Amino acid sequence: MVILNFTLTPVAASKVHDLLVCLGKFSDTVAIEARREKFTFTALNSSKSAYAAITLDGNQFFTHYECVPSHGGPDGRFTCSMYTKALLSVFKGRLYDPLGRDGAIDRCDVSVQERENETQCRFIVKMVCNQGVIKTYKLTYEAVDVMHALFDRSVAKNRWSMHSGAIREYIEYFGTKTEMLDIFAGEDGRCVFKSYTEKISNGKEILKHPLVTAVAVNTSDFEEFVVQTGMHIIINVKDFKAIVVHADTLKTSLKAFHSQPTRPLQFSYGSEGLICEFTLMTAGDYSAAPPTPAPQAMNSRQASRTPSTTTADRKDSRSFRPNMPPPVQPASRRDGSGRLRNPGSRQASSAGQAQPSRKESDSLFVPEDEDEDDAWAPVDHDREETLGWDASASHDAAAFPTFTDSGSGSRTNTADSNEVFEPTQRVSQIKGLW
Amino acid sequence: MEDEEPPVLTAVSSSARQLYLLLRCIAFSNKAHVQISDLGLKLAVDEASAMEASAFLDKSLFTTYTFNAPAQSQNPPHPDSDDDLDPPSATTPTFQISLPALLETLQIFGLTDPSTSKPPWARDAPYPTSTTFTGNNILGGMNNLCRIIYDIPGAPLSVTLTEASIRTQCDLTTYEAEYTDEIPFDRQALALKVIMRGSWLHDAVQELSSTTPEKLTMYAKTVRGKPFFALSSSGTLGSARVEFNNQPRPSAYRTPASTNLADPPAQPPTNLLETFQLSDPDTVLRSSYKFSLIQRAARAMSVATKVSIRADTQGVLSLQFMIEVEGGGSSGGGGKISFVDFRFVPLVEEDDDEDEAGDDVDETIMRHGSGSDEASEDDDML
Repeated sequence: MVILNFTLTPVAASKVHDLLVCLGKFSDTVAIEARREKFTFTALNSSKSAYAAITLDGNQFFTHYECVPSHGGPDGRFTCSMYTKALLSVFKGRLYDPLGRDGAIDRCDVSVQERENETQCRFIVKMVCNQGVIKTYKLTYEAVDVMHALFDRSVAKNRWSMHSGAIREYIEYFGTKTEMLDIFAGEDGRCVFKSYTEKISNGKEILKHPLVTAVAVNTSDFEEFVVQTGMHIIINVKDFKAIVVHADTLKTSLKAFHSQPTRPLQFSYGSEGLICEFTLMTAGDYSAAPPTPAPQAMNSRQASRTPSTTTADRKDSRSFRPNMPPPVQPASRRDGSGRLRNPGSRQASSAGQAQPSRKESDSLFVPEDEDEDDAWAPVDHDREETLGWDASASHDAAAFPTFTDSGSGSRTNTADSNEVFEPTQRVSQIKGLW
Repeated sequence: MEDEEPPVLTAVSSSARQLYLLLRCIAFSNKAHVQISDLGLKLAVDEASAMEASAFLDKSLFTTYTFNAPAQSQNPPHPDSDDDLDPPSATTPTFQISLPALLETLQIFGLTDPSTSKPPWARDAPYPTSTTFTGNNILGGMNNLCRIIYDIPGAPLSVTLTEASIRTQCDLTTYEAEYTDEIPFDRQALALKVIMRGSWLHDAVQELSSTTPEKLTMYAKTVRGKPFFALSSSGTLGSARVEFNNQPRPSAYRTPASTNLADPPAQPPTNLLETFQLSDPDTVLRSSYKFSLIQRAARAMSVATKVSIRADTQGVLSLQFMIEVEGGGSSGGGGKISFVDFRFVPLVEEDDDEDEAGDDVDETIMRHGSGSDEASEDDDML
């Protein structure tokens, strides 16, 4: 039996609305993780290239917050997942109205009903409106395990920050149909935000028209700008827009941290007990990046594969480092390492498994490779699963307790039996195989 | 000289929009029954005999209203005349017309009228967007003159609209009335009567619709002399309930609101439920209705100033909406009050389900019944 009760002021409730709108742009479902002192909404997009976590501080954000997880002691947590739409229909806009008009609320009480002696488990939201109207919603939820993408800021040497209002102006210029955003630190003291779509044609048929909008900003306009000059880092423009629009509702500064292209980038901002962290996969031209062993394993893989039509030109335009292509380990040998490998070894194996070869669709996570048995087994709550993501790119940096693929049996077998596993295949496509 | 006989009905309204706004509330069916009487026009629609709605266009809505009972008076007196009116003294011609066609006719000049497309709160704005072409309000409703003529039984209903120098005449075919019985509502045996603001009800129904429910359940009870009224529904994603507690709260919340003069002054911390009568105060009244039918009344709820919610002992629900249509200019003294009625047949509760679900909901209702301020006290009572 879990105890989770909290109360929100109208202002806080409307912030919950705002953050749900933002998370709704990443995923249909939002996961909730409640701990004793904080409450976190997380969302992971379908291609697992963007992960969002918005943490609400128990003391600061809520007027009252109480969470006693059923097990796990002080580190225990209550996790569940819900449809973003369902939550949004509860946390509507205009919950906070200084004039006290209809729709405005007095306060918002939330509790979780999960008791042994009751047949229903519900996430109960009670909106207490003025004049004695009380709206009570009982939402169904799904018990899930929440995973987090880890990001090591200590190795993210490149960082910049800027007020969200300013960036909000810049994103207005981005074409609505553009897909990617290239953030380039130029040598002339400028940073260029370039949104673009690459031309994609299938024979004579043009599937996508090229469209490029570049916004150049003096680095002196940033509150902080420490980025290696000449570095391109490429993210999804939609993600960026969603983040900026939400950051702007808080009127706060948006901070970005990243190490190098193809390594994750994190946006972070927050105010008044609300901390938002978005970890995004990046692509980019990393010829200027310092050599690190981890990405090379993937590079060699890419160099050896047949380029697919859609990504061919982009790949070729990149200058890969052709040196030191490590041999691809046979799956049988990799298998031996089994579960709970350290994060470093995961790098090699993920490259060997040949699935995240296309950079844009790179998963934030090494996919869950649960055994068939494991997948059906009851969730083991003692063993906290945290899918980690090694931002440091160094093999021995096991500083955080990441643990990724619990047993890679079924996956590797599939790869083996297929002999040649098309490296261009997306994670989402692979999923259908089992 | 039959031909010389005056038409059965001649009615002139200075504002077609008034009529339009009222009739729009019941615009969910193709055919509407029209009943002409001394007192006015009644248009009624029904759906599958499970709900019916009627709008009464009182003769005071018209500048001229002349009703001549058909001379030969072939029509037998209708037993199903509206209970809300005195029994018509003369025979009341009854026929069917196409309601969408009538609405289309009434707004034939109204397409450029900004006020019809605006939400209610914006309609009273003096002349925000009026142009040469939309200046109906400024001219005090002199335009959009609407003349309704029903010549003899069986003749088409002729609607003539005049705006400035343009005149449009539409003859709407009338059909033989095929009256099914009205939904019986026993106003002598009321189980519940609640009067509240229409917008509250509208808000509640909107709120419940987010769960995409099948049915809507209504609860009413008295908690230590205090009224309690709730609407609840449940769908696949969960359930929702909107409670109305009569608790005047002189809390901090009203104070800042009252300082704002833009707020309607008619909002002192009065009771949420203006009237609350429960025939048997000791029990919890509970009855369910099909949600999609209730939603048909949403438009009426949104424009109504007040709604009277009544249920008789059999569970038949009557929603009577008091709608203030702004005076067409010709009639001084602000808005005229009209009424739109809805009636709903309750869903029959299955006993098996009721035992489980019913008890559960009742229990939570009781628990949260009187607001959390007195939750502990409430628990003691139970």
